[in-house]
Amino acid sequence: MQPDVNVAPLPSIPRRRDLARAHHERGGLVAAVLPIHYPRALLRAFGILPMEVWGPPNVDAARAASRLQPYVCSIVRNALSFLESGGLQIADLLIVPHACDSLQGLGSVLLDFVHPAQPVLPLYLPRNPAPEGTAFLADEFRALHQRLAEVTQRTPSESELMQAILDEEVADDLLRRVHEQRPTLPLTTFDFYHLVRAREFLPLDSFVSLARAILAMPAVKSPPKIPIVLSGIVPEPMDMLRAVDELGASVIADDLACCGRRLYPAGRSRDPFMRLAESLLGGSPDSTRGSPIQDRLDHLLGLAHSTGSRGVVFHDVKFCEPELFDLPVLRRGLRDAGLPSITVEVDLNDAVSHQARTRLEAFLEMIA
Amino acid sequence: MTGIRAWGIDVGSSTTKIVGVEAGGTMCLHLLEDSEPRAEEQIVRMLQRAAAASGDQRVRPLVATGYGRKLVQQADRVVTEITCHARGAYRALGHGGTLVDVGGQDSKVIKLGPQGEVLDFAMNDKCAAGTGRFLENTCRRLGVDLERLGEVALAARDEATLSSTCTVFAESEIVSLLAHGVGVEPILKGLHRALVQRLVAMIHTVGLTPPLMLSGGVARNPAVARLLEAETGETVVVPPHPQLLGAFGAALVALESVGERPGKP
Ligand code: SF4
Repeated sequence: MQPDVNVAPLPSIPRRRDLARAHHERGGLVAAVLPIHYPRALLRAFGILPMEVWGPPNVDAARAASRLQPYVCSIVRNALSFLESGGLQIADLLIVPHACDSLQGLGSVLLDFVHPAQPVLPLYLPRNPAPEGTAFLADEFRALHQRLAEVTQRTPSESELMQAILDEEVADDLLRRVHEQRPTLPLTTFDFYHLVRAREFLPLDSFVSLARAILAMPAVKSPPKIPIVLSGIVPEPMDMLRAVDELGASVIADDLACCGRRLYPAGRSRDPFMRLAESLLGGSPDSTRGSPIQDRLDHLLGLAHSTGSRGVVFHDVKFCEPELFDLPVLRRGLRDAGLPSITVEVDLNDAVSHQARTRLEAFLEMIA
Repeated sequence: MTGIRAWGIDVGSSTTKIVGVEAGGTMCLHLLEDSEPRAEEQIVRMLQRAAAASGDQRVRPLVATGYGRKLVQQADRVVTEITCHARGAYRALGHGGTLVDVGGQDSKVIKLGPQGEVLDFAMNDKCAAGTGRFLENTCRRLGVDLERLGEVALAARDEATLSSTCTVFAESEIVSLLAHGVGVEPILKGLHRALVQRLVAMIHTVGLTPPLMLSGGVARNPAVARLLEAETGETVVVPPHPQLLGAFGAALVALESVGERPGKP
């Protein structure tokens, strides 16, 4: 089946390299940020442009082989290989949130063995829920603020920091609306993710303009497609999304760590660090934040019911321990609730295999 | 032969099959050949054979399934093996349950609802363990004819334990067992057990709903069915022409595409 032809011309997205260069020319710094959660507004307040590093895909991962265990996921493996082959030279600092054991291990390898040219700033995320978790995270952000002040040799005022937070909250709200509006957007699944994932590296103003342009697109009544929910960490290889389009399905909502789990609500506190922590921990349940599996299950069922989705595709990165640990319970829970699901395991460096495509195709035939 | 209303072709990794069905979905013609590397040429040739044998020069409507389904340019539609096996099994046996299909290159377990609808499935598509290829490779190593494999295994009084279903490791384990004087029959029985245990693990991922059905070329091997029964405690039902189930199901999908409903067995 051909993808929906009723699609809009896409707003163009600048290349990361050009954005970084332009930012440097304006005197700002660029941070390479590893997955998943981090305080974007805090970086912006220091004039730092965050550029997220989800792998990237299709990297010769051999360089990392000597430093990482064979069972480490391809996101971490690729990130280390990319760094060691000079791919992150553009960055002035590296931020490594401890989303999982593999990323925590990467942080240690960087600090203890690799000693990259850039400073490495780890970020610990709480595993316990609010209020203790919020207070812990706020303290982590204060410590990060201190480190950023040392690296940049400047300290934004509290009102500058608060303004940066409020500006990001506007962008977060726009992103949430883009996600909500997706059933009527004239975009294929592939194009939708191509656009919204620009949030991973665009400067704030550029992203706000992009989000507004997407929201202004004329609504379409799409031809009937099979609505599905996509869950996992990151929709890579992106060809999997092309396969979804070609097979006559549409991702109508997602529970992806890089997308749907980062639709942060605005914080409430006046203290900027508490406000940032409230916002980050207010996102939807996430295996890497230690959310109870039942919360994740309820969230998935809620997403499916509110969007009329017929099934859930778990698109998991091989060896992703936090996701794979929850998977059997989630699938059983969905099955008990009458919602079919399937798992497709991927490696960031592999093309979408014939087998993975067949699995997806058979699943879509089953739920069509 | 006239009266063929729809066609299915299953381009598998080991064999390529064509099935023609008449009104009501009764299988009335089938062809089966070992799959050749030049699949497109073989498909053309087999379709010509089908046309000659049936008198239906168009061989349409045609639905393609199997590993090489996208290579069938003549097909009106392509459908996965999961859907086709489910259709074929339901039409052949008339009930739902749990279908285990062991193909040359992959194996799958499909849970069928009472009306034959696919409720869930699991596929082993990552390695040769648990597939026909596993048995094929090892029987070559043991010098036993593939057709007699199950019979020889069932004749064994003892059973060797194989710790691996990986084709590569199993082969070296076999060499080691032979070197230690273990007979061919116990090794073969152990091999079948290893394969079946792998299948049972897959069955558990979708949940076993009786009756248990077995299809694919391996279903002709009596040891697989017997050991599957021993491991699950369920009677195994093998449909007629277990190797043709995918092509048969594809023909039934083609029949539905022209507004005809397959009848009951
Ligand atoms: S894919 Fe999973 S294991 Fe890998 S970095 Fe992300 S959360 Fe960690």
